[in-house]
Amino acid sequence: MINSIEVHGLCKSYGDFALQNVDLTLPAGSIMGLIGENGAGKTTTIKCILNLIARDKGEITLMGYDNIRQERLAKADVGVVLDECFFHDPLRPQDIGTILKPVFSTWDEACFHHYLDQFALPARKPIKGFSRGMKMKLSLAAALAHHPKLLILDEATAGLDPVVRDEILEEFLSFIQQEDHAVLLSSHITSDLEKVADYITYLHQGQVVLSDSKDSILEHYGRVGCTAQQLSEVEPGDLLRVRRGTFGCEGLTCNRGRFQRKYPHLMVEPTSLEDIMLFVGKGEDL
Amino acid sequence: MIGLMFKDILVLRKTLRSYLLFLLFYVGMAAMGLFSVSFITAFVQIIVMVLPMSAFAFDEQAKWDRYALTLPVGRRAVVTARYLFVLLMIFTAALFALVSCLFLSLFQQGDMLENLGTSAVALALGLLAADLNLPMSYAVGPERARPYLYATVFLPVVAIIGAANLGWLDGLDQLSPSVLTTLFLFIPLLPLVGLPISYLISCRILEQKEV
Repeated sequence: MINSIEVHGLCKSYGDFALQNVDLTLPAGSIMGLIGENGAGKTTTIKCILNLIARDKGEITLMGYDNIRQERLAKADVGVVLDECFFHDPLRPQDIGTILKPVFSTWDEACFHHYLDQFALPARKPIKGFSRGMKMKLSLAAALAHHPKLLILDEATAGLDPVVRDEILEEFLSFIQQEDHAVLLSSHITSDLEKVADYITYLHQGQVVLSDSKDSILEHYGRVGCTAQQLSEVEPGDLLRVRRGTFGCEGLTCNRGRFQRKYPHLMVEPTSLEDIMLFVGKGEDL
Repeated sequence: MIGLMFKDILVLRKTLRSYLLFLLFYVGMAAMGLFSVSFITAFVQIIVMVLPMSAFAFDEQAKWDRYALTLPVGRRAVVTARYLFVLLMIFTAALFALVSCLFLSLFQQGDMLENLGTSAVALALGLLAADLNLPMSYAVGPERARPYLYATVFLPVVAIIGAANLGWLDGLDQLSPSVLTTLFLFIPLLPLVGLPISYLISCRILEQKEV
């Protein structure tokens, strides 16, 4: 089956920041979480994928179509929700259907109204009076109503309360029930990604530092708690990053089982995506 | 592309509705002899110059271009839709002015030829404003393009006053009505010729723009 997104050797430089050789593959039927600290390059990567900005180097395909040479074909089956609602304040949800119906040949007005009902969005109320949660749900309804095969979401759940976030995550899970559907979801909320993502790609300072299946990451990565003395006895290659504190030290291993066998006297715990981000973002090499 | 045009109409529908009400009010007043017909043509001139800027301002506020470029329409379609919307508004407003002038001539309000002339000038000004301000708005945004809108209004006025002071317009009032009518009809053609160039420049700007 064709991958929903393939990014190879993506480079984009802004002078003080650069995406460097970003590779990313999103297989159909899955959800990929794109994580990274602010300014790590998540939005830049998504903008390059959507051809909103010109890349310096690299190849990008969406459902097998080149995102520049075959831009219209590539975008025909893509639903996009970015970090804001881009619909004008005077518009009403029912107007969105009028605007997008001629844009997408597959636009399904009944489906759009189904989502408006499901998300409890009043069709005739001006968007000006909507809360952030309502606006993001409206963006999602608009993104889903033309039956896309790929959803691209950039910080779409940021600033939403847990109830709305959960509702939206449920929608993603239901969306990928069809095997040719996929979701690329950039988010700081790693707990959301732990709930729904199949794959995680971690961007740090414009580079991919980790890209693997979520289950494999959570199964193999581990957090080691020890003293400074114990840390000095660990071989440099056995810990990816360490954090030294006043009361002790912590390390990140990418192979919990092997580390435990080699250092049975040290405590190794399962780790979370947030821990991994903290180790990579704030930690140091051993 | 049609959807993007619908968007402009839907976003500006309240404004368009109030403009229409004002225009109908002016027509009614002019028919009763309370206002001059020139009120209508002057208001039409304002409308045709302000509407495109309003459309850009709403888009900028909503950051619409970022969303529009994620749609499977291409960058050129975004520009084409904006130009078609602006042309539609300009021609509708000019047509309204023309029909009003013809209608009011039934009530013997003002000089028919003069009214026709001011309608043609309204159309020409709207087209000139579109020629200059649409590419400027794409390049620097509606706020920073606003001074150029004022330039669009004042430069022709300054040019006409200058030409009159230099005596270049002497004898214009001696021309026969048929010659004047032909002249009036040709006035909007000048900025209309510039429109394709303006459109290509706007396309070029948006193609290179990172949103």
